[in-house]
Amino acid sequence: MNLERVPNEEKLTLCRKYYLGGYAFLPFLWLVNVVWFFKEAFMKPVYTEQLQIKKYVKRSALGLLLWVTVLTTWITIFQRFRAEWGEVGDYLSFTIPLGIP
Amino acid sequence: SRPAISVTARDPPVGHERSRRLTSVGCNSVEKKIYVNLNYTVPCVRLLNATHQIGCQSHLSGNVGVLHVLESEENLDWVLHSGLTPPYLVILESSLFTRYSEHTLKNGSSRVAGVAVVTPNANPSQGTSPHTSCPNENTGVYTENYDPTMARCNVTVWNPLGTGLSYEEFDFPIFAMKEDNDTQVIRQCYMDHNRAGNGSTPQYPLCAMQLYSHMSAVTDTATCMRRNNINFSLSPEMVCDPLSDFNVWASTRPLNNTAKGHKEGESVVLAAARLDSRSFFFDIAPGAESGVSGFVALLAAAHALRNATQEAPPPRNILYAFFHGETFDYIGSSRMVYDMEKNNFAVDLDNIHSVLEVGQVGLHAESRLWLHSDPVSRKNSSVNEESAASGLNVSVEEPGFSQPLPPSSFQRFLRARPIPGVVIEDHRSAFTNSFYESMYDNAEYLNISYPPDLTPDEQLEYVTDTAKALTEVATVVARTLYIQAGGAESRLGSINADPQMVTRILYGFLVRSNNSWFQQLIPSDLVSHLTDRPTNFYVGVAQQPGKPTLLVQYLLANLTGIVVSDTCFNNCVFVLLPQMYSYLWVQGAAPPNSTERVGFCMRSAARLSKALSPAFDLHEYTSKDYSTWTESRWKTIKGRIFLVASHELEMLTLGVGVGVLLTSLMLTYIMSSKADILFSSGREPANATY
Repeated sequence: MNLERVPNEEKLTLCRKYYLGGYAFLPFLWLVNVVWFFKEAFMKPVYTEQLQIKKYVKRSALGLLLWVTVLTTWITIFQRFRAEWGEVGDYLSFTIPLGIP
Repeated sequence: SRPAISVTARDPPVGHERSRRLTSVGCNSVEKKIYVNLNYTVPCVRLLNATHQIGCQSHLSGNVGVLHVLESEENLDWVLHSGLTPPYLVILESSLFTRYSEHTLKNGSSRVAGVAVVTPNANPSQGTSPHTSCPNENTGVYTENYDPTMARCNVTVWNPLGTGLSYEEFDFPIFAMKEDNDTQVIRQCYMDHNRAGNGSTPQYPLCAMQLYSHMSAVTDTATCMRRNNINFSLSPEMVCDPLSDFNVWASTRPLNNTAKGHKEGESVVLAAARLDSRSFFFDIAPGAESGVSGFVALLAAAHALRNATQEAPPPRNILYAFFHGETFDYIGSSRMVYDMEKNNFAVDLDNIHSVLEVGQVGLHAESRLWLHSDPVSRKNSSVNEESAASGLNVSVEEPGFSQPLPPSSFQRFLRARPIPGVVIEDHRSAFTNSFYESMYDNAEYLNISYPPDLTPDEQLEYVTDTAKALTEVATVVARTLYIQAGGAESRLGSINADPQMVTRILYGFLVRSNNSWFQQLIPSDLVSHLTDRPTNFYVGVAQQPGKPTLLVQYLLANLTGIVVSDTCFNNCVFVLLPQMYSYLWVQGAAPPNSTERVGFCMRSAARLSKALSPAFDLHEYTSKDYSTWTESRWKTIKGRIFLVASHELEMLTLGVGVGVLLTSLMLTYIMSSKADILFSSGREPANATY
């Protein structure tokens, strides 16, 4: 969708929908929000709805950062320590590599 | 305009025309030009138990190493320290392997990618056993509770030549190869490319070998059985299987097999022997002295007792039991004891009067047999040995000092009840078998030799010296069993084992199982199991009875059973009642005038009973009481040789490729951004909107 031709109220509605949707454990919506509306929020000349769009983009970026940190930490810990967790590690895994602990 | 290409349907060509067309099509495979695949490769596989994993493992995509033929210990330094192109794949003779594998090669495993052992055609002169020096020390009867002075081979080290190699863990693959054309090709490749001449280092491209033997299971049995059973994973895969097979048993008086548990008034003498064996490599287990000598003696004894137990039946029953899986912590005997305790077997432990086990009896240093018994539970001499051995060339004695039992199935029965019993062996204290559980424990080690220029049928019938000696042992066993069962001593003279039978059985199991006598004894669907090679007695993981188990069952049926005449195949297999007897249809021999075999129905008491460790039925995978051995599964086992280039050349090729990609991307970008300048040909620039 080309944001050039969308009126400003619709841009605000879209941004808000993506922001609210991200709260349903969907961090990719926040990622899309940040990437798509970044130009609109910070690089276009000022218009009325831009303040609100800026607010949504900033909050989406914050939420995205939080998710990335949590996921990276968990994935690192799991990959590093799964072998030592024995039974718990096996029950948490979908695919268990063959031939290595 | 161009002419249109038309496709018209034509009648398909007639058969011979079509084949003529196809013969002109050929193909060339690039893979065959690069790789030479090895034909005969025997890997060492991974086995797991409650606490350890043993055996070898390779990477998922095979282990690649530069070939190095190790001729003596000086080259070992090249492999481990000074060689410039690690990792190396070492090829060596089996004598060097036993000397250097454990410490040197195993510790240098960052530079060693794998080992290929070339096995000689003749046995080495020095004895060596890859098994541990105290076999089955944790699952026998001598634990710290029973008698701490006798635990862990404190009194006698049974297998002094044991190096424990079979129970080590290696993280590179180890394959065995024979001296044949493939090995010649490998040596030639090494000579052509890898040989360092007079101090100069060999240059790339070098000859390399790749070995695949990736094992799926890891850590221990509990882990692998858990991973077998995980329900919600995306791709459930079995990673290991417990070692299991079947025990063969028979009785001189038939027992009702459907009424399990204690049988009132039935007193049974258990005659036990071991069927299985192992070696360091997978599926090679000739087990001549370790296992075959014992059970062949018992089979011949069963045959010798057939007439005596029919004409003058002794008061007690004799139960012949051939246990499988004894090498791996007494799988078969522990299962039978467990079945007896849970009333799942035809008799009970209280029905057993005494036990006589036939151990390793094939080597005859001075024609002496030794009767081993358990000093802790023994009260009086329970076996009358003098009368059994009178008149024969064999002397039977007891070791004369307080010594624990050697590793034997009888120990598992002692763990449950203090039953009197004896184990017959040919060694007084430590084993005389210098190749215990080794791949060299074969017919050559037992000195089974035939005169040259005999056809296979003549070899089958030729009575070797080994067979004569083993016949004497079988006669002693038979007579002792008869007396133990309460038979009269006056009949002993008529109980004699048949040397013809013994030599045929030895030939069939140790030289070639595809012989005319074995072919008569089995049904037609088992004929494909017979091979031209010695039988392999490794216990394996199959759910169905293995080939040696079935052969022993049919042999036992033939030697102790009778022919049910006038019975056709359907009546034999489907109709006759199986509670007291088992009925087996065998294909028999062809009469002299025709080529069709005349089959017949054999009635006997020979049956199979499952030999799976109770630990797997109880789901106690960390059990210390029962065997927990499992064998890992794998996907491919193969090896191949090819030439490798140096690492620098590979990186250079990759770098050039990446460079070409980037250059072309850049060129495309430049050309596309300056397209109007480059491609203007005097026409107006395109302003039109699309």
